[in-house]
Amino acid sequence: MTDDPERFEDLVREHQSMVFSMACRYLRNRALAEEIAQDVFLQLYRKLPLLESPDHVLHWLRWVTAHRLIDHSRQEKRRPQSPLEDAPEPATADPASMSSDPLLADMLRELVAALPENARIVMILRYQEDLDPMDIARALDMPIATVKSHLQRSLALLRDKLRDKVSPKKGVGL
Amino acid sequence: MNLDDELRAALRPEDPSPGFAERVIARAQSSRPPKQVMPRFIWAAALAAMLAIGFTGAYEYRQMKAEKASRDALIALRIASEKLNLARDKVLRREN
Repeated sequence: MTDDPERFEDLVREHQSMVFSMACRYLRNRALAEEIAQDVFLQLYRKLPLLESPDHVLHWLRWVTAHRLIDHSRQEKRRPQSPLEDAPEPATADPASMSSDPLLADMLRELVAALPENARIVMILRYQEDLDPMDIARALDMPIATVKSHLQRSLALLRDKLRDKVSPKKGVGL
Repeated sequence: MNLDDELRAALRPEDPSPGFAERVIARAQSSRPPKQVMPRFIWAAALAAMLAIGFTGAYEYRQMKAEKASRDALIALRIASEKLNLARDKVLRREN
């Protein structure tokens, strides 16, 4: 790939939403997400002559963003932690209108952001980027069994958390 | 409700704030290392070195040519002297 500034600008515009959204979903902090997304693109700018194709750029961006976010999160771990089980209960949504409800969406984003680092990035790649487990394993250099295990455990946790918010008599199937 | 669909909707990609790409590009351009400009004194030193080498070469060449001319003149004098000696010997032999 060339290090032509116009080509770089095109790449930023093409992938800004993906990189920023990964960071935003992971961190639940737009300002910090934007800062990290900028750093990822600056790294891309320096690395661009070594990347061979658009697919290589996409794979590289996912890999670097994911690892940058995990590293950031590990550095932040020195601060007091709030695991999913201890996460504050999200605002209650009306179960009758749960499908595509902005409140439910916000609740889900909050619950995903409270997952452990690796599980969180796996969920983001699965549901934001719509990658299948094999692609996630490739993007994160992670065994596929680990990816599947993260997905199953995270979905089970989310279901439990959401079920707590829904009254049993309403019978919302998750 | 389907949890997969709800997660896809909740984690749908969204754009950063307006002007994000411009900010990234500005940072990238400002982080680019400045072009290496050769200072003037290096140019002056290089020119002085080239002139010195040129003058020294020319002086050496002239010196070499002068030495060769001097050697040639000595050889010519030696030959002329030998010829004169031969002529003088012949004249002396006739007189005797």
